[in-house]
Amino acid sequence: MSGLAKNPSLAVGGAIVAILIVAALFGPEIAHRDPLAIDLASALAAPSLAHPFGCDALGRDVFARVMWGARLSLGVSTSVVFLSLIVGGLIGGASALAGGRVDNLVMRAVDIVLAFPGILLAIAMAAILGPGLIDLVIALTAMGWTGFARLVRGEVLSLREREYVHAANALGARPSRVLIRHLLPAVAGPVAVQATFGIGGIIGAEAALSFLGLGALPPTPSWGNMLDAGREFLLIAPHLTTAPGVAIGVAILGFNLLGDGLAALAGRSG
Amino acid sequence: MIRYLIRRMLALIPVALGVATLTFALIHLVPGDPVVAMLGDTAAPADLAGMRHQLGLDRPLAVQYATFIAGLAHGDLGESISYRQPVARLIAERFPATLELAGAGLLVAVLIAFPLGFIAGANPGSAGDVGAMGFAILGISVPHIYLGPLLMILFSLDLRWFPLTGRGGLAHLVLPAVTLGTALAAIIARMLRQSLIAVRASDYMRTALSKGLSPTAALLRHGLRNALTSVVTLLGLQLGGLLTGALIVEMIFSWPGLGRMLIAAISARDYPLVEGCVLTFALSYVVVNMTTDFVYAMVDPRVSLK
Amino acid sequence: MKRGRVRTGAIAIALCAIVASACARPVRERAPGTIQVDIESSPTSTDPRFATDAISSRVNELVFDSLVKVSRDGEFAGDLAERIERPDPTTIIFHLKHGVRFGDGRELTARDVKFTYDSILAPGSMSAKRAGMIELASVTAPDDYTVTMTTRHPYAPALEIAMQGIVPAGTPLPARSTASAPPGSGPFAMLSYRRDESVTLVRNPHHAAPPGAAREILFKVVPDPTVRALELAEGICGLSENNIEAAVLPWLADHKALEISNTPGTTYKYLAFNFRDPRLRDLRVRRAIAYSIDRAAIVNSMLRGTARVATGMLAPESWAYDGNAVSYGYDPAAARRLLDEAGYRADAGGMRNLRFEYKTTPEGARLAEVFQAMLKRVGITLDVRTLEWATYYGDIQRGNFQLTSLQWVGIEDPNYYYMVFDSAMAPPHGSTNRGYYSNTEMDALVEAGQRTIDPAARKEIYARVQQLAADDLPYVSLWWVNTVAVLNRDLGGFDPYPNGSLRSLAQVTLVTPGGAEPAQ
Repeated sequence: MSGLAKNPSLAVGGAIVAILIVAALFGPEIAHRDPLAIDLASALAAPSLAHPFGCDALGRDVFARVMWGARLSLGVSTSVVFLSLIVGGLIGGASALAGGRVDNLVMRAVDIVLAFPGILLAIAMAAILGPGLIDLVIALTAMGWTGFARLVRGEVLSLREREYVHAANALGARPSRVLIRHLLPAVAGPVAVQATFGIGGIIGAEAALSFLGLGALPPTPSWGNMLDAGREFLLIAPHLTTAPGVAIGVAILGFNLLGDGLAALAGRSG
Repeated sequence: MIRYLIRRMLALIPVALGVATLTFALIHLVPGDPVVAMLGDTAAPADLAGMRHQLGLDRPLAVQYATFIAGLAHGDLGESISYRQPVARLIAERFPATLELAGAGLLVAVLIAFPLGFIAGANPGSAGDVGAMGFAILGISVPHIYLGPLLMILFSLDLRWFPLTGRGGLAHLVLPAVTLGTALAAIIARMLRQSLIAVRASDYMRTALSKGLSPTAALLRHGLRNALTSVVTLLGLQLGGLLTGALIVEMIFSWPGLGRMLIAAISARDYPLVEGCVLTFALSYVVVNMTTDFVYAMVDPRVSLK
Repeated sequence: MKRGRVRTGAIAIALCAIVASACARPVRERAPGTIQVDIESSPTSTDPRFATDAISSRVNELVFDSLVKVSRDGEFAGDLAERIERPDPTTIIFHLKHGVRFGDGRELTARDVKFTYDSILAPGSMSAKRAGMIELASVTAPDDYTVTMTTRHPYAPALEIAMQGIVPAGTPLPARSTASAPPGSGPFAMLSYRRDESVTLVRNPHHAAPPGAAREILFKVVPDPTVRALELAEGICGLSENNIEAAVLPWLADHKALEISNTPGTTYKYLAFNFRDPRLRDLRVRRAIAYSIDRAAIVNSMLRGTARVATGMLAPESWAYDGNAVSYGYDPAAARRLLDEAGYRADAGGMRNLRFEYKTTPEGARLAEVFQAMLKRVGITLDVRTLEWATYYGDIQRGNFQLTSLQWVGIEDPNYYYMVFDSAMAPPHGSTNRGYYSNTEMDALVEAGQRTIDPAARKEIYARVQQLAADDLPYVSLWWVNTVAVLNRDLGGFDPYPNGSLRSLAQVTLVTPGGAEPAQ
């Protein structure tokens, strides 16, 4: 317990993420109102006692939709980041360890994908794959794995030259075992940071892809498609964008603090 | 050094080829074609077929691809279907505007991020740290398409400090650059803070402090350079995001750049123009990456140029 | 270490140089007497022989004249033609005005008219306008000021063909042209066309302009609706028509310098069925869908009074309008009864084994969700599929959809019924009857309507057509979209047309002449 006091990031971050998970799991019950109930007469209603976050353009309760959206946004972002991390980390790490021509070839491929404007990839994916959550996760992973690949590769390359690796080599230890022993803790920090940013970026990317037709099918609410739908009414009903916007901000804050806390934890034992 | 440079230049060619092929595949896989966009949805199917034939769209894909690559080899990017002008000319007209926007965005990002990241990293846990990171969170969590209009409402409509849209003098550049650079600033600031914290605990710092330097000065002279390594890596990774962000910012602020033209070209399925624009973006990205790798190697002498 | 500093410094200097270059650029001054009109997408063509989309038509209308135009009351009136004769059912003779000049000074004669039509009809022209001129046999110019149009059969909507914008003889096809636009004889000439950015029109020196009228019109492409509203509020934009979200109108109305004009329009919004789906061929299912949509609620709450509930394709402003067609009020009980009768029983949760896919563009997604909720109340499941614009139109054009909603803009002649409901106009032969509707009685009626010249007899035929369309429901009529214009009070004399035409921009004056321009 005293460890937590020394690591406020971990404590606060962990608390926020825990709250988010609770919202994702039990949100609909907490909110009481039906997020899908259209009531045209209450369209764009400002926040009130009956509707704490107001109503959207079709009269649906925004608070309920934010609660429901937590489930979707969190589920999608964590899946995507997790998948990107695995795919990218494996590719990048393996490439760095293999070195030489294999490394060059893989990095060439990474370069090509990275050089590609993400939005074209997104539009193409949206048009080819069509809507649906699984397709959204695939598309976002396809856009996101390269970041992790480069990061992990960079760290591995850097580590290879570190003194203790050379020292361990001189002592006769097998290079691969040494790398793995030292690699994971060294990589954990930057990867955790990248991953927490990834979640925020994914939620933002989800908004853009919702606009293009990829993602949650109507009428399912996600923070991304709520942000996008509210854009048109920015001048007259800012609560439509503020509510999911704040939700996104809090989520990112929570994950970032958690990431910091984890990095500090890893740094101490590493 | 020269050999390295030449080798990197030559490496551009397979990347260009790869991007061109990927673009071709994707844009042709996407349903819809330029003809419906051009002739309208009430055109008779016979006329649509005729137009497709005139544009050469009914040739087998392999033939179209071969023609495209052959054209590229000669430096011919073809003619835009929707503008009926050479693609190269259209790109030359609009690319400087995008460069201006991206450059300004990067400048804004760096100008905001370095002081913020330094304040945060030098005194972790302090009020300055919390404040700086609070701003960083805001910067990351507000997407461009939301931040742009927000800034427009606040600074153009309410305060009348800046013009609303379009490209002109410096005043026109401010809002778009800030919109574009804020998210990047937040990311850089965070990374800088992270690196500085790591450096504070390292041997370099201990050595500097033992020499009698104050913590701040030590951090500035030795810590910053080491932190720069991670920041430069990050910049390299994020530059793709900067270019993509530029596409969105151009749309919002009616900025006459390449990104805006690309988005319209995609919508119109203007294949030659899409391919030309994507290649331009991709090659710029790769060139900047090469520079980044260079800087990385300069800054961290432990990494040799391979 | 030194090298790293030098590198970083070099990059910083380069960035500053880029920004400094921005400082040096002069801001393009807007000429006094300019009106800026914000449009949501770019015109696709500046050659009136090729443009079919609404925005291109509205811009080109200001540059090019035609033999005939539709007046504010929906009647065909002579534009280039000062007198029209119809000696027999297949011949129309247009007597042209004298002294009409193109922007480059040449006089417009019958030769130019003949050339325009010939170039459209020529095989290989790739003009989409050709489909609408299928009935045209020939256009001849017996003398400089007479044009004779001959149709293959008696063709009542012939005057619609006469609405074609006229270009000078010898104008090359757009594919081979280097100019931004051919010269026209209308009130304005095209100064510049930057696709996806702006179109600038200046006065045609050879066309009389009322005193004090605006000298230049800048059509600026602004895709973001919030930015359009902001430009209006800041006085940068003088007029924006039919592209402002209804809910934002009160906010704009609060600005003293702005004025909102909300007048009846003829743009027709409808729900389309695909008759290749056997379930939709069942009239009971279609009627049930018609009864389950609460159009009045949508028009009042979602559209905030910027539309009128429609009974059919023709609005009351049309001479052929028939008010006797049956109208479908909101009656979910009747809908449920019809679906039961059709054999789709509801389960315990109220849902039936009836599921349709509804395709839409992102702009139409909100309406789609309303339909989804309304249909759910009677037990029909609607899967909404949002597609990007080009993909969507490609699908619709090929008849690849089950349900969707679209609109027809600028219906001038009831012959439109032929285009959309005649079985010969279905894909793959035609592209306007996308739902593959086929009804022999309708075919007979619309074909007769096309051949009957006498207006009274025609009116009777189309009365029957409208009643049949309402009974048989190839479309569910939704509403007629009003012409909603937000304009700066500086603009005097703007007259909104029911069909959305911007023609009155030719007469619009700027109340503060010359000097005091809105802040830029």
